[in-house]
Amino acid sequence: MDGVELSMENISVAYNGDITVLQGVALRAQPGEVTGIIGPNGAGKSTVLKTIFGLLTTRTGAIHMGGRDITGLKAFQRALEGIAFVPQNRSVFPGLSVYDNLLLGCWPFRKDKARITRAIAATFDKFPVLKERSASPASALSGGQQRFLEIARALVTDPKVILLDEPTAMIAPKISKDIYALTRSLADQGATIILVDQNVRQCAAISDRLHILELGRNKAEGTKEDFATDGQLKEMVAEWMNYRIDV
Amino acid sequence: MNELLLQGLVNGIVVGLIYALIGVSLNVIFGVLRVVNFAHGEFIVLGAYGAYFAQQLLGLSPLLAMPLVFLVFGLIGYGLYFLLVQRLSRSNDPEHASLLVMFGLSLVLGALMLLAFEADSRSLNFSLEPPFLMFGNVILPTTKLLGLGVSVVITGCLAYFLYRTMPGKALRAIIMNRDAIQIVGVDLNHLSALTFGLGLGLAGITGIIVSMIFPSFSPFIGQDYTLIGFIVIVLGGLGHPIGAVAGGILFGLAEQTAMVFFSGTVAMLLGFVLLIAVILIRPAGLFGVQNLR
Repeated sequence: MDGVELSMENISVAYNGDITVLQGVALRAQPGEVTGIIGPNGAGKSTVLKTIFGLLTTRTGAIHMGGRDITGLKAFQRALEGIAFVPQNRSVFPGLSVYDNLLLGCWPFRKDKARITRAIAATFDKFPVLKERSASPASALSGGQQRFLEIARALVTDPKVILLDEPTAMIAPKISKDIYALTRSLADQGATIILVDQNVRQCAAISDRLHILELGRNKAEGTKEDFATDGQLKEMVAEWMNYRIDV
Repeated sequence: MNELLLQGLVNGIVVGLIYALIGVSLNVIFGVLRVVNFAHGEFIVLGAYGAYFAQQLLGLSPLLAMPLVFLVFGLIGYGLYFLLVQRLSRSNDPEHASLLVMFGLSLVLGALMLLAFEADSRSLNFSLEPPFLMFGNVILPTTKLLGLGVSVVITGCLAYFLYRTMPGKALRAIIMNRDAIQIVGVDLNHLSALTFGLGLGLAGITGIIVSMIFPSFSPFIGQDYTLIGFIVIVLGGLGHPIGAVAGGILFGLAEQTAMVFFSGTVAMLLGFVLLIAVILIRPAGLFGVQNLR
C-alpha cells in the first residue's frame, strides 16, 4: 500500500453555523504509521475524521494530502483521491449482498471491469469469511462480520489514507483483536492510518503517534515514546484516561 | 358472474401494472431523495400533453413520442433537482418540507396547464386494429394490452437497471443507507439529480400510457394520479421500488374486481379500505422495512 502524508493545519469547524466543535486543530499523519486520536467524549475526535473526509465544511485552515491542498474537495472527490473512511455508525448497505457491497466500494474505478474482478477476488482472499457469505445480504452478517465488510470495502480501492472511527465499538473482544492486528498490519504495509478509539490502551498499543484532543482543541501530541517517557504527557494521559502508556 | 369476475381480474392486472408504473417512479424519488413529490400527477398529465402535441405538431405516434418525452422530462427533472429539490434534501425534515413545496408546485403546474391548454378534456388520436381481442368471454382492448406490454417492458428495464447495474445498485444503496453512500465515492448530488430526472422521465412515459388507455385527460386530473401513486407506494412499501409493483397490482385488482359488483365510487372506496387494512396490519407496507432510515 502506498500511503501519503496527510496534514491538517488550524482547522476550525462549526455545526449549524455557530456551534464550534473544532478550533485550530492541527494533525500530521505519516505513511506506514498509525496515528491515534484520543480524548474524552465530546473532544471532537470523530469530527476530525469527518472533516478530513469532507463530510463537514471547514471554517478555517487547510488539509493537505501528499502535499496537495484538498480542503475544497467534496467527500466523494476525497474518496476518489484515495481516502477511505470507516465511520463509527454502521455503513454497510443492509439489503445488498456482501458482493454488491464490495462492488460499490469499487465505484471510483467502476468502468474498469477487470480491475473490479481482481480487487474483489483479492479482498475475498484477505477476508475468507466474506467470501463464504458472498451472496448473503449484509444485514444477515454478525456485527463483527459487518465491521469486517466495512473495512474490506474501504480497502478494495487500495487507499492511500485510511480513517478508522471506533472500529471496535460494540464488537466482540476476539474480533476486536483481529481488527487491531489488521490495522497494524495495514500500516506496516505502508498505509497512512488515522485511528480514533475510546480504548486508549489498544489505541496506544498499535499507534506510532498520538494526538490528544480536548473540547475541540489540540491538547498534546507526540510519538508513543514521547508519551511513555515525558513525565508531563504521561501524567496527562494517566489523569484523563486513567491509563499509563508504556513503550 | 364468474366471467365478469375474470374480466375484473384481468382488468385489475392491466390497470394495476399502469398504477405500478406511477408508483415505481414516485417511490424511486421518495426512496432516494426523501422527497414527497406531490406534483407527480401533474408531470404525468404533462406527459400526456407532450404526446398530444408531439402527435399534433410533429406527427409522432404516442409510442414514438415516448423516448422524446422521457428525454425532455429527464432533463427537466435533472435541472429541477438543482433548482428546487437539492435545497429540500438539505433540510432537517425533507419529507415535510418537500410535501409543502411539491404541493405548491402541483398547484402551479395545474394552473399553468389550465392557462396554456384550457379546461377542455383532450384525447390522443390513437387506435389499434383490431380494437379488442377476445379470450373466451373476456374482452381486452388492444390499447390496454399495448399499455400493459409497454408497462411490463419499462418496469423490466427499470428492475434490470436497479438490480443489475452498478449505478442502479448505488441508487438502491442510497435508499438503504444515505449517509454511507458518499463513503464509497459516489457523487450523491449527481446521482440524486439523475434519480429525479429518471422519476420525471418515467412520469412522462406513464402519462403517455394512461392517455392511450383512458379516454381523455385534462389539467385537473393530476392530483388523482398523485393520490393513486401514494396509495400504491404505501401499499407496497415506502421507498421500495419493487414493492410499488406489488402495490399497484394489488390496488388495481381490488379496484377493478370491486367494479364488477359495485359502482366506481364504491370501488375506489374499497381501494382505500384495502390501504387502511394494510397500514393497520403492516404499517411499513408489503415490502417496506420499519425504520428504513
